[in-house]
Amino acid sequence: MRALLVLALLAGVTPLRTLRAQDPRLAARLDKATLTAVSAVIDSARVAKLPTAPLVDKALEGAARGSESGRIVNAVHQLSARMATSRGVLGASASADEIKSAAAALDAGVGERDLARVHAACGKRPVTMSLAVLTDLIGRNVPIPTATNVVLQLARSSISDSELALFQRNVRADIDRGADPGVAATTRARGLVVRTTPASPKPAE
Amino acid sequence: MKNIARELRAPVPVSESFDARVMDAVRSMPRYGRLGLWSRLTTPRRRTFTITPLTLGLIAAGIGVFALLGAAHAYVDVNRAAKPIVAALGSKKAEPAQRVQFVLVAPDAKKVAVVGDFNGWDSRHAQYQAQHRGGGVWSVTAPVPVGHHRYSFVVDDSVWVVDPSAPRLVDSDYGVANSALLVEHQQ
Amino acid sequence: MEVASSDAVIVARVLRGDVEAFRVLVDRYRDRYARFAFHMLGNREDAEEALQDAFTRAYRSLARCEDPERFGAWLFRILVNRCRTAGARRGRRQRTFVSDDMALLAAAHDHPADRTAWREEIERALTRLRPEQREAFLLKYVEDMGYDEMSQLTGVGVSALKMRVMRACDRLRELLSEVHSA
Repeated sequence: MRALLVLALLAGVTPLRTLRAQDPRLAARLDKATLTAVSAVIDSARVAKLPTAPLVDKALEGAARGSESGRIVNAVHQLSARMATSRGVLGASASADEIKSAAAALDAGVGERDLARVHAACGKRPVTMSLAVLTDLIGRNVPIPTATNVVLQLARSSISDSELALFQRNVRADIDRGADPGVAATTRARGLVVRTTPASPKPAE
Repeated sequence: MKNIARELRAPVPVSESFDARVMDAVRSMPRYGRLGLWSRLTTPRRRTFTITPLTLGLIAAGIGVFALLGAAHAYVDVNRAAKPIVAALGSKKAEPAQRVQFVLVAPDAKKVAVVGDFNGWDSRHAQYQAQHRGGGVWSVTAPVPVGHHRYSFVVDDSVWVVDPSAPRLVDSDYGVANSALLVEHQQ
Repeated sequence: MEVASSDAVIVARVLRGDVEAFRVLVDRYRDRYARFAFHMLGNREDAEEALQDAFTRAYRSLARCEDPERFGAWLFRILVNRCRTAGARRGRRQRTFVSDDMALLAAAHDHPADRTAWREEIERALTRLRPEQREAFLLKYVEDMGYDEMSQLTGVGVSALKMRVMRACDRLRELLSEVHSA
């Protein structure tokens, strides 16, 4: 009997506790209307078992950049949608970092099908670094199909994350020196694949 | 001394309940503002009251089932709300942090800060203020949790600058670019 | 363009009655100042107590903060005093050096065992410095402050601070080379 009363009291005060459990930085930086709208998106994402920290960060970034309310709410909403798509492609066991990385790749213009191909090429290895490199190449004006093929080759060659990071730095340096972005990416990838591939080369894309 | 100082600059984990303890202490103090007196008068105080067994039974019977459902959902909500705060802050036991050096060459800058999803994009965060090392080189070494992050430099509290040495993330949400950082467990 | 709410803005909010806004300041300064308190006092429990005390005192006297834009420095001054008081209260007995704290630090940073041992030696050596030398050393080398800033914070003259830092360095070298030759 006493336990039921405690639970009844808990149910009564819990909504207040849930409100107080919101990230206080959002309350400190967003106006009430924006906070309400953003919180609703975050709550929906939580119910859908998506990571919510990236959504809080997206709102905080918008506030820090001085973006207007509608843009912040839209940004959080779009990110939530991209994360849902990412999770759909990568599977329920994808980590928060993989989902974030995939959402960024979708934002850069990578299609769901190519996302799935990179995921398959990585096998059991996390897809985070491969997608981060893919997104960076696109950001440096490597055409999306070229960037995707390059990353697929590298993922299938099972090169390590540190080699991927080195590849990305080399491509950036070549582009900074005036190289065509697509040529820089394919040239560096070819060298890395040759160096790391054992006797029988993988089939070309 | 540099080696010793480097060791001593490593972050020191604080217990998870620290913030809550501070805020509990602060909330129990008189509130500031012209509404302070009003809120002191109207803030509910803890009361102890006795309920007779009969009343207890009636209340419990009336709302028992609803309470069970509501409490279960709310318990999950409160805990899930806590996790993003822990993850976002990045300084609790949940995610180890590595020290990362950020460097920007900005000869005309008077102030440079690092902002990102590891510090709530807060350009006033004490640990992420860069120091001028001379010749327009600004740097700061600060803790960043293991994982994938987005960040930028803020120059003179107003100009956002991507890190030229880092992978770039295009952001259609705000129409700007950020820099990407992947922090791995130190071997 | 205001990039983020400055300390002055948050302080103003708190002074208007928004007590929850104080949490932003706690989040902003907690980690850095916890590190200083830990190295001054030698164990996490005392450090958290001193830091919590500093935050609550800062809240209580917030209306007397003359330059809210530099709330951080003002809070740090309060913390330095709390650490001095906590240290003096314990007298000259050996600081409690809690190996559990070192285990937590090691777990947080994934350090190999030898690096943890080195870190422990440094912490032990710190406990053997005089408090004023330890304080000056930490402010100079760990908090990366200039001597003018240190002088404003501690109320001690620049020459005296330089002497304290120098003596701290000499003593640390002596203590740590003792360890390695043992």
